[in-house]
Amino acid sequence: MKLKILPPHMRNKKRYLAFEVISETLINREDVIPIIWGALWDMYGSCGISRFDLWVIKIWNYDTPEKHVMKGILRCKREEVHSVRSIIPTITRFKSGRVVFHTLGISGSIHSATKKFIYNKL
Amino acid sequence: MFFDFHVHESQELVDEVERLGYTGVVTFKHEENKNKDYSDDLISLRKDSSFQIRWGVMIYSNNIEDLKRKIQKSRNEADVLMVYGGDLRINRAACENPRVDIISHPYRGRRDCGINHISARKAAENKVAVELNVRYLLRIRPQNRYKVLGYYREILKLQRKFNFPLIITSGAHSIFELHTPLDIIALTYCFGMNEEEASFALSETPRNIIERRDISSNVVVKGARIIK
Repeated sequence: MKLKILPPHMRNKKRYLAFEVISETLINREDVIPIIWGALWDMYGSCGISRFDLWVIKIWNYDTPEKHVMKGILRCKREEVHSVRSIIPTITRFKSGRVVFHTLGISGSIHSATKKFIYNKL
Repeated sequence: MFFDFHVHESQELVDEVERLGYTGVVTFKHEENKNKDYSDDLISLRKDSSFQIRWGVMIYSNNIEDLKRKIQKSRNEADVLMVYGGDLRINRAACENPRVDIISHPYRGRRDCGINHISARKAAENKVAVELNVRYLLRIRPQNRYKVLGYYREILKLQRKFNFPLIITSGAHSIFELHTPLDIIALTYCFGMNEEEASFALSETPRNIIERRDISSNVVVKGARIIK
């Protein structure tokens, strides 16, 4: 039997963090999640990660002929948004190629994060 | 208004810094092979833009006499003068010299933060900014990153006591080492900086350095300057 959902005032408040990835080498959607989790492990460990309630919501591909670009949305707890944001600059390498993550913005809903930060440029 | 005060000299990097939302940048070249022509080209390209580009010189030195000679030689040519730190004697000499703007990574290759209470007091008196280099933090192995974060904490503790200028820079050599100002501010939470301190280190300290250098270029003798 499925657990009954909590009333809204008792649920964790969430924030949606839009990010972009620029990579030297070809990068897939499946690669983005382990990259983020690896950086989280290095920085905060399992104790820290358990506080974040982190989830990768969606990833879009924006490849150009010059560089590989992806954009995505990350969900985390409202209280931990700064801690999650702080791992974004620590991601520097993936499979011996250089990679950089930039935060595009933080929003309260997936819809507004997508509209404001993914479909518009930085 | 955010500034990145330590970026390698390249057109691509300057474009990316502007895209990421900075107001100004200081591009650096090694003082051995400095060539101002390239910076002049960059500046002339962006004359109409509000984006500021300044030219800096990084001084590498092994002894204090050499350091003083190089400062004397480069001071008038550069907008920003940065001393390559790491050696304790060089760190101390840089902090004691008011003609130096920034001491770059004083903790480099050390097992301490490279700044003690004496250097900190001198840096505050002479308004020499201490650099926290993001590239140095991110290029180190993840399992050793705690050491650098510890050095940054030590410097921050001294800064709160002695109030010397603190500056956060990217030290970028490629676009993969550049980050948005708000990401850098978020990163500074890891070593105990609050938002106000981080914003100050990214905006006010660089602006103060630029203003001080603009004023000092008009000084005729000590206590008198030309007002344009």
